[in-house]
Amino acid sequence: MVDRPNRIEIDKDEVRRDLMKLVLTIVELLRQLMERQAIRRVDQGDLTEQEEEDLGTSLMLLAEAMDELTEQFGLTPADLNLDLGPLGPLLPRDR
Amino acid sequence: MTAPHSGELEPRATSLFGDQEVALVDLLDRLLAGGVVLAGDLTISLAGVDLVRVSLRALITSIAPVERQGTLEQRAQRELEAGDG
Amino acid sequence: MSDTLTYVYAIARDVDPAAVAALQGVGGGAVRTLDAGGVLAVVSDVDRGEFEERALEERLEDLEWLAATARAHHHVVDTLGHDHLVAPLALATVYFDDDRVRAVLDEGRATFAAVLDQLSGRAEWGVKVYGRPGGAAAAATQEKPGSGAEYLRRRRQALRETDTALDDARDAAAEVDAAVTTLAAASRSHRLQDATLSGESDPMVLNRAYLVPIDRAADLREVVASLEGHPRIRVELTGPWVPYSFAQAPEGAAP
Repeated sequence: MVDRPNRIEIDKDEVRRDLMKLVLTIVELLRQLMERQAIRRVDQGDLTEQEEEDLGTSLMLLAEAMDELTEQFGLTPADLNLDLGPLGPLLPRDR
Repeated sequence: MTAPHSGELEPRATSLFGDQEVALVDLLDRLLAGGVVLAGDLTISLAGVDLVRVSLRALITSIAPVERQGTLEQRAQRELEAGDG
Repeated sequence: MSDTLTYVYAIARDVDPAAVAALQGVGGGAVRTLDAGGVLAVVSDVDRGEFEERALEERLEDLEWLAATARAHHHVVDTLGHDHLVAPLALATVYFDDDRVRAVLDEGRATFAAVLDQLSGRAEWGVKVYGRPGGAAAAATQEKPGSGAEYLRRRRQALRETDTALDDARDAAAEVDAAVTTLAAASRSHRLQDATLSGESDPMVLNRAYLVPIDRAADLREVVASLEGHPRIRVELTGPWVPYSFAQAPEGAAP
C-alpha cells in the first residue's frame, strides 16, 4: 500500500487555516453562549436600559468581527462546527 | 429454475455498476449495522462498528482539507489520488 | 494454511449460474456459490492478509478501503438481488475456507430458510428526514439593527425560532414515519447520520428503513412525493434496496 504524504509538511497555509478554524470554532461557541446569557438577563430584568444597550452593541460588534475573520480565512459558518457524533454538533446549526 | 424475484424492482438507470448511484453513507448504514450477522472465523463483530469513531479518527489523522466539509466519498477519492505517485 | 479466506456476501436459494459467471467481488475475486442442500452461500476468495483480525480493525478506519470494500460487496448483492431472493450478510464476514462455510450453512439451514421466507416479495426502502434551515437565513438579509437593544431583540427571536424548528421537524418526521409504517411489513431505525460523512448541513431528524411489499412501492413513492413542499422538513427516499436491514434471524433462532 502506498504511503500517504504527510500534509503538515507540505502546506503551511492549510495548517494555519486548520488552526484558525479550531480557534474560531471555540470563539464562536463562547460568543453564542454569551449572547444567550445576555438575552436571559434582559428577560429577567437584571439590566438597566444603558447596560442592555451596551451589551447588545458589544455583541453585535463581536458578531461582525467573527464574520470578517471567518471570511478572511475562507471559512463558512458551517466550517466552525465540530460534529461530536452521538452528542450532535458542537454548535446549533442555525446561528 | 430461477423465478424472477424482483421483476418489479426499478431497472437501474445506470450501466453495469448500478451501485454507483448509491450514497456511500447510506450503504455503510446498512452494511455495518445490517445483514445477517454470522460469527465468521475472525472474531471481529462488525455489528458494533462505530462510524463516529471512523470519522473522528480519519479527521484527526488525515488533516481534512478546510475549503469544504465534503462527503465521505470525496475524501476517500482525495486520499486515493494523494496516494498515487 | 491457505493464503485466501472465503468471503460470504449473502445467503440465497436458487441462483442461476450464469448470474455469477462474470461477477467480481471484493478484491476482484470471482464470485461463486456454495451449495448445502437447499440453501446457497454467495462467496468469493479474498486475501488472508487483508482480513486478518488486526489488519481488519485498522482497515475499518481507512476510508478508502472501507469505501472500496463496501461498494464491491454491494455490487455483488445488488446485482444478484435484481433477479434472485437473497439475504445479504454484514460486511466482511469471512471464513477460513469453503468447507467451513458449508458447515455453517448446514447447521443454520432452517434459520436461513426462515430469513429468506421473510424477505420474499419485499424490498427495503430508506427514508431520511431533515429539518429545514430556520429563519436565520431570512434575518441575514435585514438591515443592520439600529441599536444594541434591537440587536438583542432580533437574536432572541432567532434563537427561539431555531429551538422550536428542530422540535417541529421531529414531530413532522414522526408523522412521516407513521404514514410509511402502514405500508411496511417491518421497520427499523438507523443511527442519525454524521454530518461530516453525509456532507449535509441541515439537521437530520429521522433515518429509518422499511421492508415494503413490492406491490406497495408505488404507494410509498406517492407518500414521499406528497411531502415535497413541507415547510418544516425535507424527506429523502432511497431504494429499492436488497433488504440489508431486515436480514436477521427470527426470534429464538440461532445462526
